[in-house]
Amino acid sequence: MTQADVRGSVEVAGRTITRGEIEDFLYEEADILDAWNYDAWLALFEEGARYEIPTTDYRGWSLHAGGSFVDDDYDLIQARVKRLKSRKAHAENPHSRTQRMVSNVRLFPGEEEGTLRIRASFVVHRARDGQFDQYVGWYEHVVVPTQEGLKYRLRRTILGHEALPVGARLSFIL
Amino acid sequence: MSSEVSERVAEPMLVEDWERLTFRVNREAYRSPEIFARERVDVWLRTWLYLGHETEIPDVNDFKVRTIAGRPLIFCRDTEGQVRAWLNSCPHRGTVLCRENEGSQRRFQCFYHAWTFNNDGTVAAIPDDGAYEDIESLQKNMMLRAVPRLEIHEGYVFISFNPDVPPLLEHLGDAADYMTMIEQQHPSGVTTLPGVQLYSVRGNWKLAVENAMDGYHFSPTHNTFVGYLRESGFAVTDDNQYAYNLGNGHSLLVLTGHGGRISMIWEPRFGEAEKVRTEEHRAEMVERLGEERAHYIADESHILFVFPNLLLFDIEGLSIRQLEPVAPGHTDVRAWQLVPREEDPESRALRMKTVVSFVGPGGLATPDDIEAYEAVQRGIEATRGAGELDYSDMSRGMRDEVKGEQGRSIDEGAMRGFWRYWEEAVGGGLEVTGDRPASFLEGRDVR
Repeated sequence: MTQADVRGSVEVAGRTITRGEIEDFLYEEADILDAWNYDAWLALFEEGARYEIPTTDYRGWSLHAGGSFVDDDYDLIQARVKRLKSRKAHAENPHSRTQRMVSNVRLFPGEEEGTLRIRASFVVHRARDGQFDQYVGWYEHVVVPTQEGLKYRLRRTILGHEALPVGARLSFIL
Repeated sequence: MSSEVSERVAEPMLVEDWERLTFRVNREAYRSPEIFARERVDVWLRTWLYLGHETEIPDVNDFKVRTIAGRPLIFCRDTEGQVRAWLNSCPHRGTVLCRENEGSQRRFQCFYHAWTFNNDGTVAAIPDDGAYEDIESLQKNMMLRAVPRLEIHEGYVFISFNPDVPPLLEHLGDAADYMTMIEQQHPSGVTTLPGVQLYSVRGNWKLAVENAMDGYHFSPTHNTFVGYLRESGFAVTDDNQYAYNLGNGHSLLVLTGHGGRISMIWEPRFGEAEKVRTEEHRAEMVERLGEERAHYIADESHILFVFPNLLLFDIEGLSIRQLEPVAPGHTDVRAWQLVPREEDPESRALRMKTVVSFVGPGGLATPDDIEAYEAVQRGIEATRGAGELDYSDMSRGMRDEVKGEQGRSIDEGAMRGFWRYWEEAVGGGLEVTGDRPASFLEGRDVR
């Protein structure tokens, strides 16, 4: 891990990005997802972006050296959104009710020019079918500042669980 | 509806009627704690169970901790390279011996009194053993407790808690060759990868078995996934696809109309470079295995159920799924990706992405299957104690069965075979009305 921002900001392509901007971006996304506004969610990604959730036994191996829960390229992100908007996505019809908490937000310079890395913790509460699940973990995202605001290049969710608890599933966006 | 709601398990478990061509399963089989307890003894502690794949512990001293049939086990490769299955419980007082999920070590030490065991089961050290009268017999009696039987077929490690279980290959029967076919897909063989999907569903384990053998659900349940396949240029059809009972509770779906197969059947969503690699691989297979064997291995997708806890998905890619019943309405599921040991990195990336896009709790299809098991488990509460109404119907395809025609993947013949075998093991009663066909079509041996 590269050195953390001590001042709550990083320089990216001549711009100063503050932790406040990143927090707003993550909070806005949480609202979008809790409101089931998947077109707005898709608009947070640049073309060619990826969405990944490694399995709970993840030990830092490179992307295709191990299995995953989610391994979406941009085509699959689009297919996932299309599916979630369909009434035939049975696992999410009716929708899960979610409430997301995001905290411990930290910024790092990205490995690629013009990018920055975000690390943040999350708790997602989900209610459905008379059950209540909690998902905890952290994000390791790569974002790009653009004219239209910040965009995901990589949206990566790392689970803090040893295994998905009974009844839990990743049919919604975590 | 009967006015008396009884907690007693109603009999019979299965009702087969060859005059009305109906086959019905008593829903208590999915929810009764009494039946669950009987299954534990009459199935899980009696037959062969899938433990894991040899490639999960490739090197000496590698170990994984895994619960099978409710029993915590250590699955390891000892210092001599032999695969072992130990009860994960200190022979002294029963403490969980190994509290790591995985790793590599020559010895396991119980933290409680520091008793230490070699990974071949022998006692390495018992602190202050001078307090015991006969140290030699103490060491002999306090060896790690082994699961009574362990046999391996094509890298799949099976165990049995029953010392008198017949040999593994006898139990596997026709299923064995479909496991061999997977191993033969690539000249380098196949290996599991780390990154195991560990999840848990609120449904009975037998619902997961039924679902895997149920081609009928595919179009309605996976409507959105089928739509995605169509958009990516691949037609999906249920024509000419069949389901087989392989005996001993095992069953097989042979699918030729659902999606492509990485490195074997190309489809547009795989891209042009993969097309060339697929053609080269097919030529290599024909050279190595002959035209006919290559055809059976490459051109058909197989979903194989090995009774009672192993599902092998040889579809777009390869995956292993293991079922671990926890309670009547609670099943732990573990799923591994299986890949060729040597594979072009682009094919590997495509394989991983394609498999995960379908399978697992984060895929575009499996969550709808999980929704189905869970919705059944909740829904059958409505008929609890309601006599005749408290049965699920699995009659599709009986008409063809009478005529001696092979059951289709979109019929329910594979499920009927499973349930008959299950009832023989667990009991509960099978009521047959009318004349059964002279024999059920059983087995599919293409060796």
